[in-house]
Amino acid sequence: MAAASRGGGGGGPKALELLRALPRVSLVNLRPNPGAKKSEKRRGRGRHGGKKSGRGHKGQRQRGTRPRLGFEGGQTPFYLIIPKYGYNEGHSRRRQYHPLSLQKLQYLIDLGRVDPTQPIDLTQLTNARGVTIQPLKRDYGVQLVEEGADIFSAKVNIEVQMASELAIAAIEKNGGVITTGFYDPRSLEILCKPIPFFLRGQPIPKRMLPPEDLVRYYTDARNRGYLANPSNIPEARLELAKKYGYVLPDISKDELFRMLSTRKDPRQIFFGLAPGWVVNMSEKKILKPTDERLLRYYSS
Amino acid sequence: MRTKMAAAVLRGLCRARPALLPARTPQGILHRAAAGAAPSSEFRSEYALDRLYPEQNRSDAAEGTQDGTRQTSPDIPMDLAVGLSTSVFIFLDCLSISYCRSSGPGGQNVNKVNSKAEIRFHLASADWIAEDVRQKIAVMHKNKINKSGELIINSEVSRYQMKNLADCLEKIRNMIKEATQKSSVVSKENSQLLIARVQKMNRERLRQKKIHSTIKQSRRVDFD
Repeated sequence: MAAASRGGGGGGPKALELLRALPRVSLVNLRPNPGAKKSEKRRGRGRHGGKKSGRGHKGQRQRGTRPRLGFEGGQTPFYLIIPKYGYNEGHSRRRQYHPLSLQKLQYLIDLGRVDPTQPIDLTQLTNARGVTIQPLKRDYGVQLVEEGADIFSAKVNIEVQMASELAIAAIEKNGGVITTGFYDPRSLEILCKPIPFFLRGQPIPKRMLPPEDLVRYYTDARNRGYLANPSNIPEARLELAKKYGYVLPDISKDELFRMLSTRKDPRQIFFGLAPGWVVNMSEKKILKPTDERLLRYYSS
Repeated sequence: MRTKMAAAVLRGLCRARPALLPARTPQGILHRAAAGAAPSSEFRSEYALDRLYPEQNRSDAAEGTQDGTRQTSPDIPMDLAVGLSTSVFIFLDCLSISYCRSSGPGGQNVNKVNSKAEIRFHLASADWIAEDVRQKIAVMHKNKINKSGELIINSEVSRYQMKNLADCLEKIRNMIKEATQKSSVVSKENSQLLIARVQKMNRERLRQKKIHSTIKQSRRVDFD
């Protein structure tokens, strides 16, 4: 009740005063918030739930006698005709990376859907609808593919999950910066859809470290891994420049050097937001933990 | 369990110690905090790069492009030329790179996209190659040199210009490497040893052949 909620905000003695004056809380005075309870659609009771009740017209659909999923009318179904073999084992549990071509990236930048003057992240790419990542379908992020390497001409600071050598070379040739970073499925879901996450009211979790088989990939400077030794990266850049025969542009002389050199911490999901913080969208406030144990946990 | 193992592996690889030193901001390219940004305003966890790799004394210079002192490939002049920021200009001036359409099937894409890379340079006046090496190349690859003395290398191995250019550069490096290799001269005593070995091999082979022949003959039945 509105009166009861108002009374809760008054404080100790005020609340007592209000309780004396207000009527007793009973089933007569209680009501759920508007929009909280949605009544279900009951079939077979009139115009919109009635007549055929959403079952269609005659046949197996209406009569509910459809065969099981995968049945192909008697023909040996797909899931039985394909032989089991070693190389298919665990195929549904393998990590998948959605490909993003340099051509598509250039297209997005040219159309203004992605801003090259800010660091480009998976969130920016999702907001621009350049890629659609489904974390629930074993997607672990996006991989940069070399299609369009010859026409790529944008200076960007981009962070992807995997990148091929030519893609790295194409980005660095134009004076950009590329990093590969790992996101575990929960962090990936939060990264792709930040606003529904903020609406949940949970604190931002810390990003997990990569699994064993990926540690080697992300600690290698040749892949521009986010856990690689920063002193190995200039050597790797030079090596690529020698291999592909371009002049390595000096980024430190660039006016956007500050933007180009921003990188996320390995435990951070969003730029500018640390793990442990709670973002309140409706009141536009950020709540940070103060307890020492929490701070120690979130920065570990 | 797996994350703990991953963390342990990571620490093993990087020898991490939770260092309490503030992050110094060196002038090189690609270091975490930009010059001027205070470390406390950015979030730093235990796995931040400056904690995983505590600052070691850096031997490379401020600009990353001045890394011409160490090369891994045997081809010294080429890599040095591309590496040093001052001589890159000269080097690329020497080579004339052009792109044209590749051959083969591929429909509209192969007809329109310029992906075949061609590099030409005048061999006799290429002072970044040693004189004797230049002459050796002129002899070994005389089919690739045109009337005006330009060595022509082209490549259309992949769909991308950059990869084809890399392939051309690799071909040039291999040419120089082959020309620099000195053919191995067999010394007198070794040459005699080799001849003796070959003769022994032949004798052994013929002996085995005779043995095999006697076995086959012993199986024959003659009607007298």
